[in-house]
Amino acid sequence: MTTQTDTMNEEASKEIRLTLKESIIALIVMCLVSLVSNWAGAGTDFFAALPAMLIIFAMVVVGMLLSKFIPIGFPAVAWVSLVSVLLTIPVSPVAAPILAELKNISFLAMVTPVLAYAAMAITKMEVDLFKRSGFKIAVISILVFTGTYIGSALIANAFL
Amino acid sequence: MKPESTPTSLLLNWRLHLIVIAMSVISEWIGIQSIPVANAKLLFLPLFYAFILCLFFNPNILKFSEKIITKKQASIAAPIIVIGILPFIAKFGTLIGPALPKIAEAGSAMIIQELGNLGTMLIAMPIAVLVFKMGREAIGATFSIAREPNIALISDRYGLKSNEGIGVMGVYVMGTMFGTIYFALLAGFFASTGWFDPRALAMACGVGSGSMTAACSGTLATSFPEMKDEILAFAGASNLLTNATGLYVAIFITLPFSEWFYRKLSKDNTSTITSKESH
Repeated sequence: MTTQTDTMNEEASKEIRLTLKESIIALIVMCLVSLVSNWAGAGTDFFAALPAMLIIFAMVVVGMLLSKFIPIGFPAVAWVSLVSVLLTIPVSPVAAPILAELKNISFLAMVTPVLAYAAMAITKMEVDLFKRSGFKIAVISILVFTGTYIGSALIANAFL
Repeated sequence: MKPESTPTSLLLNWRLHLIVIAMSVISEWIGIQSIPVANAKLLFLPLFYAFILCLFFNPNILKFSEKIITKKQASIAAPIIVIGILPFIAKFGTLIGPALPKIAEAGSAMIIQELGNLGTMLIAMPIAVLVFKMGREAIGATFSIAREPNIALISDRYGLKSNEGIGVMGVYVMGTMFGTIYFALLAGFFASTGWFDPRALAMACGVGSGSMTAACSGTLATSFPEMKDEILAFAGASNLLTNATGLYVAIFITLPFSEWFYRKLSKDNTSTITSKESH
């Protein structure tokens, strides 16, 4: 019984890699969850924001396919942003209609569910590591984040 | 493999999504709040509450939550974030595209601020080595902001079980757990001080992961509503650039620099600490 639970726990803590099909299922779930969050946050009706979400869905799928079939080590994140940037640069013929639709989706409301999943994704390993060397690492991490942020802001400020 | 443990069935399990939806809706309803601190103020966004609320449902954190959702069912949340950030990146791209001419004008600032990482080391490394007496963990912990490409680099150079590996993983875990929230608070605070050009603060938001960029620039946009589009575009472009160049900055500049800086700081100890790796 004990060994079985142990293997279960081990299995649960192992990293799950999604196939393309599973990624698309996850994407659909995420889009639906975002629509609900968008409705609660921005007050935009679920169906009013649906066309905008379909555009976003299409961009992400194209980006995922590009990263799968053009194996130059470019991550999906980079492909997705490349696709959406190129579609909306001023010279793009589809920029105006896309931007008009996407106004229906609030940027901040899309982040809320991502953070909710992030809190759910914290694993036993991470909790343990935090308990073990929590204090020192916490202080160093805060210094790292603050240092990088201020460092970048100072340099950017000087060169603007 | 049992049918209930395939990724697809885990993805379609309603418990996790229901928790996320319920907490997101509650968080959105609470809305944006702020607390004054001295002359500045701390901004709290719905993403902040959603994170905190969901911590209580995580069975790895509270044993009680296992009655609501099993560890197995919660484990699918990790790959969901990888995908879940993509719709938001797509939305981000549509803010960068129209602003591309403006971003090009700020070109040099945009590229050079990638070196902000060096600021990290100048502050964090001395504290790690001199105050906390950390060994080579300090190199892994402070050479970068510890996102995925940096972990890949350390694992390639030293291995993840090495001291450097433990350092980078520690900061990575902290970043995953609290980085996003911390960046949002940091941005809101600096926005209210008026020390920096909002566009510079926006570019600095791009130094970390996608969700850090989002939370950070979202807070800035709330602080400067009249510059909202520009802020989001600058932050997004900066993050895109970090994704593209971050690894090379780490390989050629920040990691060699941190090796050198570490040797300087721990001069007295170098005779006792002998590094196992050889270049």
